[in-house]
Amino acid sequence: MKRKIDLEKTVYAVAAIAFFFLLWGFLTTFTPVKETTPGPIEVLQLLVSSFYTPIGSKVIVGHLLVSLRRVLVGFSVATIIGIVLGIAMGTSRWAEAIFKPIFELLRPIPPIAWISLVILFFGIGETSKYILCGIGAFTNVTLNAYTGAQNVDPELIGCARMLGTSERDIFFRVILPSCTPQIFAGMQVALSTSWMAVLAAEMVGAQEGCGWMIQRGSDTLNITLVMVGMIVIGLVGMLLATLMRTIERRLCSWNIMEN
Amino acid sequence: MSSNEVKVKVSHMTKKFGDLLVLNDISFEVKKGEFLCVVGPTGCGKTTFLNCLTKLGVYQLTSGEILINNEPVDLQKHNVAYIFQEYSAFPWQTVEENVAYGLKIKKRPAAEIKARVDEMLEMVGLTEYRNYYPNQLSASMLQRVSIARAFAVQPELLLMDEPYGQLDNSLRYKLEDDLLRLWQHTGTTVIFITHNIEEAVYLSERILVLTNKPTGIKQEIVNNLPRPRDVTDVAFNQLRDKVTDLIKWW
Repeated sequence: MKRKIDLEKTVYAVAAIAFFFLLWGFLTTFTPVKETTPGPIEVLQLLVSSFYTPIGSKVIVGHLLVSLRRVLVGFSVATIIGIVLGIAMGTSRWAEAIFKPIFELLRPIPPIAWISLVILFFGIGETSKYILCGIGAFTNVTLNAYTGAQNVDPELIGCARMLGTSERDIFFRVILPSCTPQIFAGMQVALSTSWMAVLAAEMVGAQEGCGWMIQRGSDTLNITLVMVGMIVIGLVGMLLATLMRTIERRLCSWNIMEN
Repeated sequence: MSSNEVKVKVSHMTKKFGDLLVLNDISFEVKKGEFLCVVGPTGCGKTTFLNCLTKLGVYQLTSGEILINNEPVDLQKHNVAYIFQEYSAFPWQTVEENVAYGLKIKKRPAAEIKARVDEMLEMVGLTEYRNYYPNQLSASMLQRVSIARAFAVQPELLLMDEPYGQLDNSLRYKLEDDLLRLWQHTGTTVIFITHNIEEAVYLSERILVLTNKPTGIKQEIVNNLPRPRDVTDVAFNQLRDKVTDLIKWW
């Protein structure tokens, strides 16, 4: 039964994507859209050739790796800070009183709004890009760790304490595992926000990366290059999300297992 | 089962929330290996009573003291286990890991942990579910996990707060029998809080009947009915009616 549903899902997915490409091809062949927009074949040709012909200083895989490095560094550092701060706010009234108001104030500001300030303080080097990616991840992880820690079942803590668990161990044995699913949900959103932030960061003052490719295409009126950049970003974003879901399924199987 | 050695001694236990007097100067003793049931009218403060015994969270006594083996209660030192009204199995651990939890915390050798866990799972009938997570189990199985986890540490004192309150009757009978078997097997001292009088008469060696708030002890009833007990037996029903009369507030 499950295999049949999986097969149906795959068929629908392939059909939907095929339809999208057909529609794109149709619009860029038979309508006035063709004056401004390249068709799917043109874009795919450039995509394939960009694997061996450099765009700027690097081939497309090189640009991708640069962007990925920026995202992963920013995301990792922000995730660690976010988990610590979020759990601190969720478990200590003092930490909540001190950090929550600042956090609530900064939370709605999107990473793009930080670009000028970050460049002002850290220049246009790699640090700025790491920081912008980090800002994107930080708020989501912190918020989820905070809510997760707040919602830890007090009976579980009581139970662990009764069985002789020390206060320090209660953190590692009860609070942390209890909010892991929430933290993971936050990390999933955070990773895509970071991925979005790296593009914004690379569109200003970068010499390489996926965002730079789009900006370069835009500056030289090379819309095909813009679209290649967009497709690569979409594909990599999708892969990252799938990777996170796989890790989550392994680490939090107790929470998502079907009955 | 009980000996003459005093396991728990509660003297002048008093608890106030602001000006509200909830527990009023309660004193009693529990013998080693005894099964004590505590019953009382609804809302009489049974859970506050138990929370004071365990000093969980904010429930510090206003006055009085609780001694285990003639020493003030210290959860790191005294081997006390607590089974809650709600299901309290750790959802991120399998049945087996849950049962082993207390033993790991107490740093027992691996071989001992394995042997004890196997024994406990066998006794509560969860051996074939040892690798399941709590979200895959039914309500009664979850409560059996909590019971196995509590007995696994061979507690000197086991506190139970209406553990079967949310289960239907047939499951409750089954778990009550499981509990009696474990108690007889391990010789643990048990304080069992319930609003179900039949349950108290079925399980206990002695029943403590509480008054309405401010809560005090209305009467202590020794329950010498022979085991296994029969809920349809005349003596059983007489005792049940006697306790019912004592907690009547209507």
